[in-house]
Amino acid sequence: MSAPEPVLPEPVRPEPVLIARHLTRSLPGDPPATLVADADLAILPGRFTAIVGPSGCGKSSLLYLLGLIDRPTSGQLLLDGRDLAQMSGDDRARIRLEHFGFVFQFHFLLPEFTALENVMLPLRRLGRLSQAQARERAMQMLADVGLGDKWMKPPDRLSGGERQRVAIARALANNPRLVLGDEPTGNLDSVNSARVVDLFRDLAHKQGRAVVCVTHDMGIADLADIRVTMLDGRVVEVREQHPAPSAGTQ
Amino acid sequence: MLGRLSLLIHIAARHLLMRRRQTLVATSGVAVGVGFFLAVSALMVGSQNDFVRQLIDVAPHIIVSDELRSPPPQPGVRAYPGGAVQIHGYKQRNEVRGIKDWQRLMARTGAIEGAIASPSLSGAVTLRMGGRDEPLAVVGVEPGIEAKVSNIADKMRAGQLIDLERVQGGVILGEELARRLGLNMGDIVSATSAAGVTRSLRVVGLVKKGNSMLGGSTGYMLLREAQSLLGRPFIINRIGIKLTDAYAAQTIAAQLEAQSGYKAESWQERSSDFLSLLLTRNIVMYSVVSAILLVASFGIYTAVSTSVADKRKDIAILRSMGFSQGDLQLVFVLEGLALAVVGVLLGWALGTGLMGVLGSLDLSVGGEIQHIPLDKSPRQYAIAAGASLAAGVVAAWLPARKAASVDPVDILRGAL
Repeated sequence: MSAPEPVLPEPVRPEPVLIARHLTRSLPGDPPATLVADADLAILPGRFTAIVGPSGCGKSSLLYLLGLIDRPTSGQLLLDGRDLAQMSGDDRARIRLEHFGFVFQFHFLLPEFTALENVMLPLRRLGRLSQAQARERAMQMLADVGLGDKWMKPPDRLSGGERQRVAIARALANNPRLVLGDEPTGNLDSVNSARVVDLFRDLAHKQGRAVVCVTHDMGIADLADIRVTMLDGRVVEVREQHPAPSAGTQ
Repeated sequence: MLGRLSLLIHIAARHLLMRRRQTLVATSGVAVGVGFFLAVSALMVGSQNDFVRQLIDVAPHIIVSDELRSPPPQPGVRAYPGGAVQIHGYKQRNEVRGIKDWQRLMARTGAIEGAIASPSLSGAVTLRMGGRDEPLAVVGVEPGIEAKVSNIADKMRAGQLIDLERVQGGVILGEELARRLGLNMGDIVSATSAAGVTRSLRVVGLVKKGNSMLGGSTGYMLLREAQSLLGRPFIINRIGIKLTDAYAAQTIAAQLEAQSGYKAESWQERSSDFLSLLLTRNIVMYSVVSAILLVASFGIYTAVSTSVADKRKDIAILRSMGFSQGDLQLVFVLEGLALAVVGVLLGWALGTGLMGVLGSLDLSVGGEIQHIPLDKSPRQYAIAAGASLAAGVVAAWLPARKAASVDPVDILRGAL
């Protein structure tokens, strides 16, 4: 007769949202230039991941591969067990629309549209909400980033920090599982920069999204839960800087 | 799907509204093209219709004459139809000239719906006046019927066709011939036919000059009197037929010819040279006009391709957001289409205005005030719109493909 096994609390190890296997991107040429070589990476929900490394190490290239903006030369990119690397352009666009949200160094707001209309673009393209619902949700998104009163302004009438926050609201409009940032604070002063970083950490810790940010700002990298270091196109280190919160505290 | 389209239209519309000058230039290019197409084609088609109407109305729609298209079959051949008979050196039967059994042919024609047939006899006479001889092709008609079949009544300078019945030996002459002979209304002239009959004729009407088909040397008489003058009583050699539907002439002529054996000539056959000339004219017109529309579509091409070049950043961000390549291509095709649609609407207005101006011009032709014949049929509007929209879409589609092929990576990371 054996005693019943004691039930031990298991460490929270959530299923990765996105898994990269041997992800490689090279440019044709003689010899071919390799931007990203054989990258293996798992992107976890609820965690803020920072990709760091010297200029030209391929960190942005990796981000674009993870974000389906660029297509790998070889390797796999798995989302829910499906390999996104081999999918058609239209299918990849659909996945970006439903699951991914991007924030870039430059806001890239459409100049002809107001802040509200910019946030509504992905909502309208997805088409799950009626026009009125989309508008309401976009207003809420803007309010969440503290711009509830500036919805009717065109981008050129907003400050740099405000524009970036509109861009974040737009990235979050379709409630993405994965938020990708390419130097999102690169063009902001320290106050705005801190606000954006706080927002990103909240997206991970409070809303459970996977957040991946390319940055050269070591201050931001230190705040990240997971730090991915790249060198010459290779992932040289993946370090967990802050332990995952246990199930009880989440 | 509908939501997607309305979103893409929204984006396209914003692009165009933000680029007012480009938009204005491109739409006015299309508008000018469409406007001038409408004006030119209204002129060309209008004048063509007018010309064809004159071709149709200048003489009866079908003329049955006593001519045969092939020699009449000889009795030997008739007796052995299809037999291997070759007959040489026989004496040809001498048929009496004129349409035989013409009353039956008249009755048969009368049975065709909308057809009016007028019998006539024509022959040559010589007019003699003060030692001057002038040849005259005299046509004997029944004035009451002939007036319904030909438009001779409209071409009269003086007198009336019906006067032939009122005046013994009345004749209607071309005014130029009358002038040459020094004849006026009511004057008497002597006419001699090849049959040796001489009669005195009284001028009861004058036909305006400048009617080529009536000729300067044609005269009208009463049928009965012409038969007597030409020495061919009860004979006619021509039946003019007028139809309600002029374009049925060819078929009906063929039927009549098959039934009667006499040559039945439709107006189309009569004027086939003119009709082929019109075809050439149409080809020339449509080539010039397509060139205008093509140039207009260059405007759209330029507008859309600069728009694509300007919006590379927007294209990249929309792609990263999850818009497909097809979405972006459609945005720019829609821009081209919108430019074409607005251009067509403005062009319709411009064309209508130009037609109004052309239509109000008074032209003096041969001393008479005439208006330019214009064709304002919806067909021309539809052709102009169809051609412009198609050209606009193609012109936009070429640069739009470039929009779809923009690689977001280059732009997003290279930035600004």
